[in-house]
Formats: sequence, C-alpha cells, structure tokens
Amino acid sequence: MRPSQVQIDFGTPPGTPPRTSSEFEEIPYPVTHPSYFKTAHSYKHEESLPLHHMNEDTSTRRRVARGPGSSGGFMSGDEHESEMHYDDDGKDVYSKPSPARSRVSSGRVHRPPPPPPTSISEFISQNLEHLPPVIYTLLSCWTRFHKIGRANTVVWDEAHFGKFGSHYLKREFYFDVHPPLGKMLVGLAGLLSGYNGNFEFKSGVVYDESVPYVAMRVMMATFGVALVPLGWYTAVELGMSSWCCHLVALMVLCDVAWLAISRFILLDSMLLFFTFTTVFLLTKFHNQQYQSFSFDWWMWLVFTGISIGCVTSVKWIGLFVTAVVGLYTIEDLWEKFGDLRMTNRDQIRHWAARVLCLIILPILVYMLSFKLHFMILNHSGPGDSTMSSLFQAQLVGNDFGKNPREIAFGSKITLKGMGWGGGLLHSHVQTYPVGSGQQQVTCYHYKDDNNHWTILPTWEAPEYNPNGELQFLQDGDVIRLQHVPTTRHLHSHTVVAPVTKLNNEVSGYGNSTVGDFHDYWVVEVVDDIKQGPREHVTKIHSLTTRLRFKHQALGCYLYAANAALPHWGFKQVEVSCTKEDNPDDIHTYWNVESHWNDRLPLGDAKFYKSPFLHDFWHLNVAMMTSNNALIPDPDKEDILASTPTDWPWMRLGLRMCGWGDSQPKYYLLGTPVIWWGGTVSLIVFVIVLGIYLFRHQRKYIDMTLQQWNHFLYVGKIAGYGWFLHYFPFFIMGRVTYVHHYLPTLYFSVLMFAHLLDHFIFSARWKDSTKRVAFGICAFLIIGNFWWFRGMAWGIDGPINDHWGLLWRKTWNIYNA
Amino acid sequence: MLLTVPVFNVQLFLVIQNSRSAFERVLDTPQASAAMVGVLTAIAFALRFYKINQPDQVVFDEVHFGKFASFYITREYYFDVHPPFAKLLFGLTGWFVGFDGHFTFENIGDSYTDNHVPYVGMRALPAILGSLTVPVVYAIMKETGYSTIIAAFSACIILFDNAHIAQSRLILLDATLVLFMSLTIYSYVRFRKLRYWEFTVEWWSWLIATGFFMACTWGAKVNGILTVATIGIAVLVDLWDILDHKKGFTMEHFWKHFMARAVGLIVVPFIIYLSFFYVHFAVLTRSGTGDSFMSPAFQETLIGNELLMNSQELRYFDVVTMKHKDTKVYLHSHPDHYPLQYDDGRISSQGQQVTGYGHDDINNHWQIIPTKALPEAGRGRVVRHEDVIQLLHISTQTLLLTHDVASPLMPTNQEFTTWPKDDHSRHNDTLFYLNIIDADSEDPWKSKSSYFRLVHGPTRVSMWTHSKQLPEWAFKQQEINGNKNPTEKSATWFVDQVISTESPEGLSGEQVPKEPKKISFFRKFAELQLLMLQHNAGLTSSHPYASGPINWPFLISGISFWTENDAQKQIYLIGNIVGWWTCVIALSIYVGIMGADLLARRRGIEPIPEAARGRLWNSAGFFLLIWAIHYLPFFLMSRQLFIHHYLPSHLASALLAGSVLSFILSDTVNYPISIVGRWTKLRKSEYADLGMKGPVVVGVFTFILFLMFVYMAPLTYGTPGLDGETVNAKRLLSSWTLHFAAKETAEVS
Repeated sequence: MRPSQVQIDFGTPPGTPPRTSSEFEEIPYPVTHPSYFKTAHSYKHEESLPLHHMNEDTSTRRRVARGPGSSGGFMSGDEHESEMHYDDDGKDVYSKPSPARSRVSSGRVHRPPPPPPTSISEFISQNLEHLPPVIYTLLSCWTRFHKIGRANTVVWDEAHFGKFGSHYLKREFYFDVHPPLGKMLVGLAGLLSGYNGNFEFKSGVVYDESVPYVAMRVMMATFGVALVPLGWYTAVELGMSSWCCHLVALMVLCDVAWLAISRFILLDSMLLFFTFTTVFLLTKFHNQQYQSFSFDWWMWLVFTGISIGCVTSVKWIGLFVTAVVGLYTIEDLWEKFGDLRMTNRDQIRHWAARVLCLIILPILVYMLSFKLHFMILNHSGPGDSTMSSLFQAQLVGNDFGKNPREIAFGSKITLKGMGWGGGLLHSHVQTYPVGSGQQQVTCYHYKDDNNHWTILPTWEAPEYNPNGELQFLQDGDVIRLQHVPTTRHLHSHTVVAPVTKLNNEVSGYGNSTVGDFHDYWVVEVVDDIKQGPREHVTKIHSLTTRLRFKHQALGCYLYAANAALPHWGFKQVEVSCTKEDNPDDIHTYWNVESHWNDRLPLGDAKFYKSPFLHDFWHLNVAMMTSNNALIPDPDKEDILASTPTDWPWMRLGLRMCGWGDSQPKYYLLGTPVIWWGGTVSLIVFVIVLGIYLFRHQRKYIDMTLQQWNHFLYVGKIAGYGWFLHYFPFFIMGRVTYVHHYLPTLYFSVLMFAHLLDHFIFSARWKDSTKRVAFGICAFLIIGNFWWFRGMAWGIDGPINDHWGLLWRKTWNIYNA
Repeated sequence: MLLTVPVFNVQLFLVIQNSRSAFERVLDTPQASAAMVGVLTAIAFALRFYKINQPDQVVFDEVHFGKFASFYITREYYFDVHPPFAKLLFGLTGWFVGFDGHFTFENIGDSYTDNHVPYVGMRALPAILGSLTVPVVYAIMKETGYSTIIAAFSACIILFDNAHIAQSRLILLDATLVLFMSLTIYSYVRFRKLRYWEFTVEWWSWLIATGFFMACTWGAKVNGILTVATIGIAVLVDLWDILDHKKGFTMEHFWKHFMARAVGLIVVPFIIYLSFFYVHFAVLTRSGTGDSFMSPAFQETLIGNELLMNSQELRYFDVVTMKHKDTKVYLHSHPDHYPLQYDDGRISSQGQQVTGYGHDDINNHWQIIPTKALPEAGRGRVVRHEDVIQLLHISTQTLLLTHDVASPLMPTNQEFTTWPKDDHSRHNDTLFYLNIIDADSEDPWKSKSSYFRLVHGPTRVSMWTHSKQLPEWAFKQQEINGNKNPTEKSATWFVDQVISTESPEGLSGEQVPKEPKKISFFRKFAELQLLMLQHNAGLTSSHPYASGPINWPFLISGISFWTENDAQKQIYLIGNIVGWWTCVIALSIYVGIMGADLLARRRGIEPIPEAARGRLWNSAGFFLLIWAIHYLPFFLMSRQLFIHHYLPSHLASALLAGSVLSFILSDTVNYPISIVGRWTKLRKSEYADLGMKGPVVVGVFTFILFLMFVYMAPLTYGTPGLDGETVNAKRLLSSWTLHFAAKETAEVS
C-alpha cells in the first residue's frame, strides 16, 4: 500500500508494517489487487494522471539526459558503468533481468463521474466534449445518405448479397463462403423496409418497383455512419490529444473508399463497423487496467468478446482483428504471469476471464449466428446439396423424407460421401485421359441424373427380377452399382488413381451385359443413427445408415477426400479406392441420399433430425473448401482483381458498375492523402522506433517510462493491426480485391494520427504551430475528399468530361 | 597485445580443477583429440570413397552439373540458377583429370565407361569435400567448448549419414555447399572467441575467413544466401550488445566495430563473390545453350553467337519478318477476312485476318514504311527507337492496323487487321510506335538483337499474341491482338530475317565472322543475377520426388536418384533414420527446456545453473539459429523443393544435438572457452564432467547409428542389387517409394 504524503513526512507510523527499500522505490503498484481497490479512490488523484489530460508543457519528451547524474527517467536503474569488460560468456542479451521490476501500464485511471447536473447549462458544459463527435456524426449521415438512391441498378456485389438477403426472406437454404450474420442483417433490412424477397438481383439490372433498395441501402449505410463516432472515441481512448481526435474523425469521415463501400447493400460496411467496435472496445478495456474485475472491466471485456464474435460472423477476415486482440491479451497475460506479487487466485481469475470472454463467448456468438441461419432457412433451396443428406431431409420442400426407408435390390439411389464437404457419387460420359482411360467417376455437389445408381446382384447370381420377391440389402451383401444413364458399373482395378497416387482408380466400366468381378462391392454397415451400432442394424436405411463399400477383389474401400481433379475432370472431387482399411476414416463413409423404388412404401419426413453441431461443422468445412477454391484462374484475366502490393500506394481502383455515359459511375478508390499518409506513417514508425531503441541502448532518455509504454501501446495496436490485416493476404492463394484493404486502412489511419500526435500535437510546440499544422492536415483531407467525392456519390455524364481525377496512370478511371 | 596471450594461457592452466575422471581427462587432452579427428576423418574418407566408381552411369542431377562442368571445358556459355563457384571447381577437376568435355550427360543412366569420361576423378572432388566436413563439425563442437566425446557424437551423426554420403559421392553441388557452410560457422566461432582481443591479427584473420567462406557458400549454391543471413543476424545481435551503454563503450568504438564487420563480412565476401562471376565470364566466351536467356547486348559478346553474326541495322523500306519472342510465331496475314459474327455473338470488323504463324511463308513479309521525310541516302534512313512507323504487308499491299474492336478470342483486347495502302481514311490507325526494349533514344533498330514492342499510336495497345489458336476459319493459327497494357512483358517481338534491304552492307549471311563486342563485367553480372533470381522463383513445375519442408526432418520421403533394372540396383537418397530422428528429438528437447526455463524465470524460479544456462542460450542458441534460418524460409518458397535442401539444417541440428546431449549428461560446462582478454573478469574456471556415462552413451549410440547405416548402405551406394523382399525390408517408412519392391498383396487378376 502506498503511504500517504503525510506519512512520509513523519516517518513510518507504528501501525504500518516496515517496508523494504526495494519496494519503496517501486513505481506505484497499479490498483489491481483487491486490497488496493477499496483505498484506490482516496489516492486516485495522486496516481499518474490520464495521459490525454497531461499538460504538454510538463511532458519531458525530448529532454535528453546524459550520464548517471540525471537518473529518474527511463531505464535509469542500476547503471553499471564499469571500465572493465566482463566475461559475459557469450552474448548477454538474453540474460537481461527478465521479471519486470514493476508493471507500468498506460491504462487510464478511472475518473470519478461528475456530480449530476443541476441545470441545463451545467449539463451542457459537462457534456461539451461530446459535441464534436455529434457534429461529425451528422456530417457523416450527410455524406453517407447523400444521393444514395441515385443508381437505380444493382451495383457490383449487391448482386450477391442482395440475393442472399432475399433467401432469408424466402427462407430458402443457400450456400455462400461468408458466415451468415452480415447477410442476415441484409435480410433484416429487407424485412423492415417491406421487401418481399422476389427480386433476382442480377448484376446491372434496374430495380423494379417492389424493391425498396433505397431504404435497404440506408440501413446498410447506417453502419458506415457509425464508423465516424467510433473513430473519434477510439482516438480518445487511445489517449490522443483532441487535435488528433478531430483528425481521426475527419479521416474516417472523408475517405472516399470507406464512403463508397458503405453506400450499397454489401457486407463491408458491417465488417468495418465491427472491426471498429472491436478496436474501440479493446482500448476501452485497456483503460480499465487499474481496476481489474470491476464492473466496468468485466463489461468492456464481455463487449470485446461479443464484438469479436460479430466481426468473424460477418466475414472471416474478422479473424485478423481477433488476432490483434489475441496478441494484446497474450502480452498482457505474460506481463501478469511475471508479476510475482499477484496472488495465484488472481492469476487464475485473469486467465479464466480471458478464456471465457475472448474465446468461449465469441465462439458462442459465432455459433448463434449459424443457429439463427439454420432456423430461418428451413426451406429447400439452391444450397441444399452442400449439406449432409439428413440436414436436407428436414428442410421443407425436400422429398428425401418420402424416400422408402429400406433399401432393396433393384432400388435406384444416389450416394452421398459423408466426409466433410463430400458430394454425390457421380459419373459422366467423359473418360479419364490418364490411367485406364475408362469413364470418369467423381463426387459432385449438384443434383442431376448422372448421380443415379441402381443396386444389382452379382453377375453370377440370378438376374434381378423386377417382379420377383423383394430382397432387402443387408450388411455383407455383394452388389454391383450400375450407373443409370450410361449403364456402366462402378469398377476399380490396380490402375493408379489420377491425383491420390497411392490409391486405386475407380471408373465406370462395361455396360448392362458386359462386366467382370471387378465390379463387385461388399456393403459394410458402419452404424445407423436410428438403429444404433452395426450389430443392431438389421436393414439398411436410406439417409440414416452409414455404409462403406469394399472392393471385393482388391479389398480397397471407396473413398472421396477433398482432392480435386484437374481441368479435364471439371474440378470435381476425385473418387478412388483406398487400400488402407481404416474403419474410422470418414472419407470412406457413404449414405444413401435419394431412393426410388416403386415397390416400397414411402417414408415419413418427421423421422429425420440432424444435430446442430454436426451441421455447423459441416457447413464451415464446406465454406473453407470453397473459399480456398477461389483461386485466380490463370487463363482468365480478371481486371477487377488486384494483389496486396497494389493497395498501400493505391495503384489500382475498381470500377463498381458499368461505365456508360448515361449511368452514374462509382469508382472504389481511397482518398489519396489518407492512404498514402497512412502508408508513409507506418514506415516512419518503424524508423522512429528503431531510432528510439538505439538511443535507449545508448542511454539517451527521450521519454518517461509511462510515455514510452504509451507510445509503444498505441504503436502496437496500429502496427500489429495493420500487419495482421495485410500480410496474410500474401500467403492466401485466393483472389484478392481492393476492398480487402479497407479494414487494414483503419490501422494505418490510427498510426498516422498516432505519429502526428507524437510529433506535433502532444509534443512541445507552440499552440499556434499546432493550429497551423492542424489546419494544413484538415485542409488536405477535406480538400482531397471534395476533389474525389464524385467517385462515391456517383459521376454523371461521360467520364472523360471530368477533369483531374487521374492521379496515377494505373487507375482505369477514364476510358482510354 | 599479442605477446600477452601465452601468459594468460599459463594462468589458465593454473586454475584447473581436477575433479574429473581420469578417463575423461585423457580424452580431452590435445593428443586424444587429434587422434579422434584422425580416426573420424579416415573413416569419412573410407565411406565416401568406397566403390565411388559405382555406378558408372549418369545419376540424377549429374545430368546438369556434369554438363555444366563440360561446358567450362569447351568454354560454351550456359545458364543456371546457381552461382558458379562449385561448378567451376567441377570444371577445374574435370580439366585436371583430363576430361575433354565431349560428353554432354544427356540422360540419367548414360554410361561413363562407354564414353570414356574420367568420372571417378570428378566425383572425387565432392567426396573429398564431403569427408572434410566431418572433422570440421568436430572442430566446431570442440571450439565451442564441448568435450571430445560430445564433439565426436555430433561428428558421427554426419559421418554415418546416408544422405550426406550419397550426396557427396556424386557430381552434385551440395557437398561443396555443406563444407563451406560448416567452415563459415567454424570461423565465426573462432572469431567470437577472440572478442576480448579485438582488432588483433587473429581477430581480423578469423573475421575475414568468415567472410571468405561465407562468399564460397553463397557462390556454391543459391541456398548459401541463408548462411549469409545467419551470420548477418548473429553480427547484428553482437553489435547491438556492443552498443549497450552498460558495456561502457564509446560510439567511436562501436563504429570501429561496425566498420570492421562491414569490411570483413560485406566488402570482402562481395569481392570474392564477384570474382567467381568474373572467372565464369572469362572462361565462357563461346556461344552455347545459355545464349537465349540473355539480353541481345550480352549475346553479342559471345563468340559465334547468331545475333552477333546476323544482326544488322534496319532501314526504312526494308522488307522483314517478325517473330514473337515467347511463342516464336511470325507476324502473318493472308487475304481471308474475320467472320462477321463469332460463335459467342460478338461482331467483328470483318477486316483482313492478322495471325501468328509458325512457319516460314511469303505472307510473313512486311515492309517498314516511314511517316516522316527521309534523306536520299545515308544514316538518316536507319529506323530508330520511338520512331512512328507503318508496316506494309507485301503480298496483299495492305497496312497493319488496330482499332477499338474486340479481338476474336478476348473481349478485353483489340482486334488487329489490315487496311488498303491507298485508302488514307484510317491513316491514324495504322501508326505504331517502335519501342525497343532497354534502348536509349536514337538507338537504331537491329534485326535479331533488338527486342521491341509495337505500341499503337491512338489507342496505346501493344501488339501481343498468346498460345491460343483461332478456330478453323483462321486455319488454327495463333491470335494476334492488342494488349491494353502498353508495357506488357510478353508483348515482345524481334525481327527475324531481313528479306531485302537497300543498306550498303547488303544482306547478312555473306559476311565474315565478326569480333565479339564487349560490355562491362558489372553489366553482365547484374543481368545474370536478375535472371537467376527470376528463374529460381520460376521453378514451380512439379517433380515426382519433390517434397514439402515439413517432411524433411522426419525423413518422410527421399529421392530416387538412379536405378538399374537388370541387377535391381538403385540409389535412393535418404538419411540415416537413427541420426535424423535423434536430431529432431534433440531439437524438441531444447525448445522444451528453454520454454520451461523462460516460464520458470518469469515466476522467479531459476532451475538451471547459470553457467549451463548461458551455454544453452548462447552456443546452442546459435546452432538453433543456423538450423532455423536454413530451414524455415523454405516454407515460404513456392518453387519445387527436395530433401537435400535440408542437409545444411541437418548439420546444424547435429551440432545442437551435441549441446543437448552434453546438457542432459551433466550440468557442468567447460569454462572459460573464449580467449581471455587483459581486463576480463573471470568466474572460477571449471570443466564439463560427463562421467563414464558420456562415453558409454555415445559409444552405444554410435554403434546403433553405424548398424543402421550399414543396413541402408545398399540404397546409398547403389550396390549390390536387392531382391524384392529385401527392398521391402529396407523400406522402413511406408512413404518411401523404393523401386523393385515385391508386391505386398497377391493380386487376383
């Protein structure tokens, strides 16, 4: 406990336990310990003041201290200025004293709430600080909503997301690579504005009367409006000077790319919104550092977790901002782990709180969005076939439920691979260009007649008689599977499979009269969801029984993993025969999906239920697989796509719609000052950090420990944030577009503001200098925005009549 | 200062504590150490030279590196992604043993004996270098302060390793790479040990030796750049340390150190690296297989080069044929027209077809028409860079033209067609800028040697073609269209033949051989470096034995180097599974120990004695750094990768395994190791005391290692032949793809 001023003056009072000298020199221990908590209020004015309240003139920045005389600053502990070299037995960089002597964090001390206002004027003066953000928000409403309905056509990716929104209104199951939250909000916007869901959203088509597209766009743009106040308050929480808060808000307000992307029915405005909230809530949480486990602390932590859950439920890109929170938390916990004075109980509480709020809670939010997705989409739709057969059976409008339950010889069936993302067993007249050259057998996600197979007895057995006695299929039966359209048989032989070279090829062979014993497959039951394990399965049921097919002659198992065939196989999934008998390999599991047999009674749809967790996982794997399949096609030149190296310097823009003279034209391109300034500031930060580290190593004191920690903290949020949102795009194989940089841009904006704050607005300059600097920055940002405003608000008339927009030759704004 | 060294050595001996067993004391004497080196080296030579004449056929990449060696002897220019040092050594050896370069190592399995190639001599070089690696590894461990027995342990992992042996018995670059990499480490260790004797002669010698060996490593194979990176990081850490104010050095002192390293580790290696290329260019003076990779200016420096022989300046009104550089088709036109409507419904201009055609034909002839007034005669009639020209198709008397109409196959690109010569209504659309690549203004347009782009005046598209064929209506010839990117790399053309000219020199062909031109060494060097980088990144085609980096430390798969069907012999590149897995275990133990130590110290517990901990951080940490830098970057590379890329990392992991074994056996370390300076404060000196368990453990381990080596030896040496059952038995992991395996399951059909 820190002694009060009075106690120091009069020595140690008898009631206080004697303290050791080492403790005495400590920088005040933050009020995280419960015993401090009660007393914290009485000392709070002596605790270090919140940074953004610090008078700039008292800042010691740029005060250079040389030699041991001027201790009391940054790293002024035990100077060991020995004339001697000492044998360090190698490098001693590792053995620097590792446990931090004391934790000094840049968290802001909680300010007591002001007394309730007694008059209007008092209320106003108390809340005066909220006036600028309110004004900025109103401005933001204007920029976002201005002429929002001018383009009465389906612009750019509205074609996708508008369509997905319609599916929610029609409650038809669809499949998409993005998680559902954003699209559900689109659907909600449609619902609120009275859209009936019957518009097709074909790219470039004029909206018809029934689509309240303006209202829907306004609702999407509201997320974009909220970015501006979020930017402001994040800057406040990051402890920036009020000048810089203005600049951050201005930059968020005036970026043309953020503006343009927010004005349409797209997911990006929501992705940006939740990215902004995550950063904001993290900084808010950080400022509760001094009062761990208080109500506020818990509240902001929980909100951060929810926000993470939301951002990842909009697009998987949100995982990047999650990684920023993760890195921050790891560092924070590592600090706490080294704090030997914290009780074990507190240690565990800290860890548990993070696990609970930042891991479990987001996962629950993510799963909740899928739960809602499944609950809303309970009708059969275009995305059915990506899901498991059981899931499809419970959709309204699907006829699987009416399948005859028990499979018999002579039944016509389709077979579904049960591996994650598996498809229907398929064959088509095209042949393998490699291997045997026989007809291809693949796995395919779409339903057509080429998926139909008939169960027949072996060649030796009496031929199947459509009028004879019904013979039900049983575990261990040897069957032929005849492909209905081509009459060839499912066949395997010792030819190497085309992709998975270790396996045998599976092909279609023979016809209704020609065949051999390589067409024989042994049916092995794994289990049945209704009837239980193998021993209890008496008859093989459609949908619920899991089967494996063993090739009788070779002993291999029919197998479909996620290996795609090359071009000649239409990129469908390879089917092969694996020699390995692994009874747990889900890729060898199949179930009967559709089943037709006139001689059997129809089943009952009520019979089938699919567990949520299974569906959830299945859908996520399918999303992952098709996301990875979005690789650039080398044969096709995609003029919209760009590479990550094009973004920081704005090498390319993106035409969001047709470029005809009569239509309003939207061009996705940032405000150059903001983009270029952000990129420059990132480079400058690395250099400045290097210089400070060098100077530190040479014992020049530039900042107090608290200032240094704060400089690092903001730099880390912005720097790691930018890096984690940018670098992964290089590793990803998938095709990338300019709008992937938009969340990344936020971090470069923060870095830009941080450096301006560090070097100008919180440094020791005259107020007049700061005013001039602010004026220049604001003028550049606003002027630049005004210059390019047409790109977001829509450019009318022939584009070549608009002068001066081509700041880089690589932009394809003008028609050549 | 030098004179004081012995004094301190004497002092060292005085503080020795003799608590160790007699056996260990004997082992650590210089005599025992020397004997150990002698034995290890002798075995290394024996194992690497054993049956080195087997097989007398071209094996695996000998097709490349043997060929390159013969090019040095015949002095024909070739191109390869690797720097020339190791290949120069092979060339030198070949020349030394009397190889005349006539054999071109065309296919794996070609016989050396039939073609009278002195291959044993050429293989002896890597065998010698590979053998010498073993004592160097021993010396690294010894110098780093480990006992004789530990040093022998690390050396044995290399000594009995099947992969290292297989790789050093053949004409391959890796033995050179690995030896010079280990020499770099050795020199750097020696240099670090002299840090209290800075700026002495020895200090400088080892610094420069480090730089020298580093350059050789990099010069041997492009992967050697990783060694440079390793030393770079170590030096940065070291300099950062010197900068620390607690050490009390002045800035002048720091800059002195900085400059010394800049000289020793940047300037010296760079000069040596340059000198390899200097020799390379000096030797390879004739035209050869590598010509076409290089720029025209470069090619003209080679004796007998086609460009040099046939290149000539072009003048207006010359009739020429033009070829596309990548797809080698002629610019062609014929009287047929584009169909009005294509299959996809788009409409064409119905103009005369312009296509790419692969064969010599009268329809490939084009005349260069000026767009400006020309003098009657003289140099003014030469076509120059950035001139605006028209091209006249001779047989139909029409001018080349492009306009804003989509091309037949690509809606994004412009259609090329022609227009009657006398119809001036579309004059502007027939104008093209001649952009000669890498040319300055006023440079003349030359046949063969000028690569150019033809950029359309009004629409700024460049004439381009791609390998897709047009449909039947254009006789399946190649489409030519206008690419919207005026600087498109693949839109490069050159003039192939001059059909008629009014040039006073007349047509080429009747000319006498010209003297090769000269360009500066640095231009050649820069061009070659750039090409090597581009081609290295471009090696992305798949190879049946290529494997991902994650497989390497665990020996998941090897490479089949060579097979002989009759005798069922094969060479399969695979490491000694005992040695490699020991290294992996050692690595994981190290990471585990250091991680646990980090956590414990964070909680104020110090489980490892300070001395042992320092050794683990510093020397073993350095080995881990070498391992990581030589291994992890491969994960980022998209080019095809092979298990032999892991050999440098494997060597580093063997060093690390030694450190870890030493730590496991005993908490004690040898101290001091570094050469003590005049003002160095010393702890009490001590000796590593491994006890009797050291020799026993290492002995037993080496014996198992040796047994495994012998067991796998037939795959390494390619002899004797093996029957199917034996091959199956030697296939220790199911992922190894050995040849001549007996079928495991009886087949039914």
